[in-house]
Amino acid sequence: MKKTTIALLAAISFSSTASLAAYPDKDIQGVIMWGAGGSTDTVMRSVAPYAEEALGTDLILSNKSGGVGAISMKYVNKKKADGYTLLMGAENPQMHKVLGLSNIDYSDMVPVAILARGVPMMVARNDAPYNTMQEFIDYVKAHPGEVKIGSTGKGGLPSIIMAMIDSQVKLDYINIPYKGDGPALTALQGNAIDVMPAVLGATKEQIKAGRMKAIGLIDNQANPMLPNVAPITDTLPGLNSYLPWGPFFGVFVRKGTPDQVVNTLTRAFSSAGEREEFTSMMSNRGYSVMNIAGQEAVDFLDTYRSVSSWLVYKAGVGKFSPEKFGIQKP
Amino acid sequence: MDALNYFAMSWLSPELLALTALGTFLGIYVGAIPGLSVTMAVSILISFTFSWDVNNALCLMVGVYMGGVYGGSRTAILLNIPGAPSAIATALDGYPLAKKGLAGEAIGLSTVMSVVGGFIGILVLALAAPSIADFAITFQPRDYMMLGILGIMLVGSLSGSSLAKGIFAGAFGLLIGTVGLDPMTADERFTFGIIELWDGINPVAVMIGLFGISEALHQLQHMDKAVIKQKISRIIPRLSDVKKYLPLSVRTSFIGVIVGALPGTGGDIAALMAYDHAKRSTKEPDVEFGKGAKEGLIAPESANNAAVGGAYIPMLTLGIPGDAVTAVFIGALFIHGLNPGPLLMVEQPHMFWFTVGNLTLANIFILIFGLTGIKLFSKIVECPKGILIPLIFLLSIVGAYAINNAITDIWWMLAFGVFGYFMRLYGFPVGPVILGVILSSLTDENWRRAILTERGSVIDLFVHLFTSPLSIVLFMTIVLILFTKTPLWSKVVKPKLFPNDA
Amino acid sequence: MSSHEPTPKTRKPGERVFCLLLVIGSVYLFWQAYQIAGFSELSSAGAFPMATAATMILAACFIFVNTLKRPANQNAHFFTHCFPPIVAIIMALILVYAVVLESLGFILSSFVFLFTTIQFLYRRRVLTTLAISLFALIMVYIVFRLIFQVVLPEGIIPERDIIASITALWR
Repeated sequence: MKKTTIALLAAISFSSTASLAAYPDKDIQGVIMWGAGGSTDTVMRSVAPYAEEALGTDLILSNKSGGVGAISMKYVNKKKADGYTLLMGAENPQMHKVLGLSNIDYSDMVPVAILARGVPMMVARNDAPYNTMQEFIDYVKAHPGEVKIGSTGKGGLPSIIMAMIDSQVKLDYINIPYKGDGPALTALQGNAIDVMPAVLGATKEQIKAGRMKAIGLIDNQANPMLPNVAPITDTLPGLNSYLPWGPFFGVFVRKGTPDQVVNTLTRAFSSAGEREEFTSMMSNRGYSVMNIAGQEAVDFLDTYRSVSSWLVYKAGVGKFSPEKFGIQKP
Repeated sequence: MDALNYFAMSWLSPELLALTALGTFLGIYVGAIPGLSVTMAVSILISFTFSWDVNNALCLMVGVYMGGVYGGSRTAILLNIPGAPSAIATALDGYPLAKKGLAGEAIGLSTVMSVVGGFIGILVLALAAPSIADFAITFQPRDYMMLGILGIMLVGSLSGSSLAKGIFAGAFGLLIGTVGLDPMTADERFTFGIIELWDGINPVAVMIGLFGISEALHQLQHMDKAVIKQKISRIIPRLSDVKKYLPLSVRTSFIGVIVGALPGTGGDIAALMAYDHAKRSTKEPDVEFGKGAKEGLIAPESANNAAVGGAYIPMLTLGIPGDAVTAVFIGALFIHGLNPGPLLMVEQPHMFWFTVGNLTLANIFILIFGLTGIKLFSKIVECPKGILIPLIFLLSIVGAYAINNAITDIWWMLAFGVFGYFMRLYGFPVGPVILGVILSSLTDENWRRAILTERGSVIDLFVHLFTSPLSIVLFMTIVLILFTKTPLWSKVVKPKLFPNDA
Repeated sequence: MSSHEPTPKTRKPGERVFCLLLVIGSVYLFWQAYQIAGFSELSSAGAFPMATAATMILAACFIFVNTLKRPANQNAHFFTHCFPPIVAIIMALILVYAVVLESLGFILSSFVFLFTTIQFLYRRRVLTTLAISLFALIMVYIVFRLIFQVVLPEGIIPERDIIASITALWR
């Protein structure tokens, strides 16, 4: 009995080392954090074919939404650390610890590649009586409790942007939460809300068509995609320490995945991320291509986590202090 | 003239024609298999058609979309398992028809009426897209809330003999719909600390359980009963039937287009509203509703296919998805370098007419594929129960898993299967539960948004309601429907207004 | 659907208990709904769930009282007419199937499930059952796993390696 067990174990370990040598020798499963049709889904489905080419194997993509991303995190971290299960996610898990949603975030995983980042900004309905951040702030101050600002619930991108602004100037407004930025931006066009913090990717076409207007860029420098919109630091210089900041899309594997495998994956995804078709598609959609990996990616993830966690915590939304998880102040 | 050229593009190129046909054919099967959703199929096709020319890719995807919406009726009629939530209402009268041996006739009629609905949807899209899109986005939270309430009032139509049991089932469905992390405040609702419950209970899992599993469990009691021989002599419906039901089909198609064009509602709600409309407007049905009334089959089928054209209206004109599938289409257009948005019709004018032409083509293919092979399909019902029932269980389990690649959905599906078994046993209708699940977030969220907009004042909400004509119309409709349920109406007003009707 | 049958004059065995359970369940759910946010604001997360749970309680009480009024059907027995052994057995089989699905994997557990239930319900020769279950399983696998790329639980059978080695034959 003992002999067979040992033989079996040997066989298993042999087969796993054998497969390591030839990684990848079978299909790789890519778990997408959000549902079909979402921005994460589109980005991942458009980078995957190039990564497949570079890897020489099939990437089988499946959507596993739920728990603001926590379900897919949990799923991938339960699989073997062999590089055959990838997590294709967005920024959300970085705040899970502070919000008390989950005890794992990206610091507990290995980044394969951070592909791109969204450009956060503020849009207002077309006939709103303000055109810049300063005018907006003055208007809200003059009309307390009248301006309706859309959001996507606690911990969502709009809530962090509003927490940023709130850290500099106190505003009294009505917060109307929507299920996502899509429905909220539709409501903005129907005048159900007045202002919405969003990413450029979701608003670009509507701004171009003159159906809504950009009143501010949540960045510390102007963006070539929106040359006429001033960065928010012009109005609120105190935000300099938080910026640049923005939601991102990345590919991750479980901690403990052999370096050799991570390197193979990183090479494949960076070559995919450099493809002209991909970069032009992304900038066309209003995303900044980043394509970073290794220590650079880890640093970026840490900065994002520290800014968002502290802002959310200070705004009174977070359940736990970022200090509890050793998250540095920005 | 340009428009016509673009319209005919997919008709004249053999390659595009073949791809549309293939897509429609695949779509019918995707739609028919519960758990495989059109949304999922179309996003898989994004990766699959990645390197293709955009027109080729679109033809395949449009075909899958059109075919998929239609295909949901197949399993609803044959096995009482709606392939998708938009086919729930179809099962209510379609399955009783199959039980009578009329599956072939039911599928034939539903195919023809789906196609009629599809054409009306496309026609409205082609002729009035910009104005309808502008109208659709003016819906305020309070209007969506009232739409939700209108929907909830359909419980009356789905309840059968006991209204109390229907109300219980409907309220239960609404409550199930609230399970999970509240999307507005992130409060946990009925999650009992289980992370798998954060995203709520998937309506498709509830649907497969309540309809499929519970029906199959019931069938187990009658294993000895001989299977129903299907009469397959008539498949193409009688011309007299088509003529008779055409007005109903046209009316419900318009319900479908409008509800489909609203960014917050889709084919599932449209189909249920159409069913309700059929029940209200049919004075003397040949067969009672719920026992195989053809009106109850035609109305939802016309409406859900018309909703496809409706969903395209805000997508093509404004870049706002009308439903989950058009959201994926928007992603696909981006990937192919087009910019779906308000300028799409200016920058890529061919896109609009190409899509209209392509949708029309897919609709014709539905007619062709829908009316062929029915004989083979009807045989499914004749399959020995000893084989059919295990297969239904297997398909239900795989289907529930496929929704979100999660075992949890299987558990919910089974739980609702067992609960549904007892509900049926003791005369509770299961339809209202699904209705509740579908309408829950629409009503809950928009009620709260409406009240937040008024800073928590119900009085302000009520007063402001009368500042918008749309809100007034919706409000009056609700009041009128409620009023027709009161004794005052049936005893005093109705006899005076309609003396011959009694 | 059984929804349009006229309300029976008598009550079925177990109906009283079922309706009572509905009342208790509704009260429990109302309590849970109250826990979300209490009676704070009309726009709170708990307002709508509380309203629906309250409706459930009212409807369930009404149904329960009505059920009590009706006389029991003397000829029916719970375990023959309402919950016969065959239903219980099949429910148990499905339950076992769902439990082992993830650990054993889709292919193995589904095959065993199909084979057992078809053999139990259809009662033909073992070879016939074997053929039917294998055919059905292969069809489902092709449609879900290969065409629509639903990654079904793999369990103990190394599917991906098998697929890889099969496709390697072509390359």
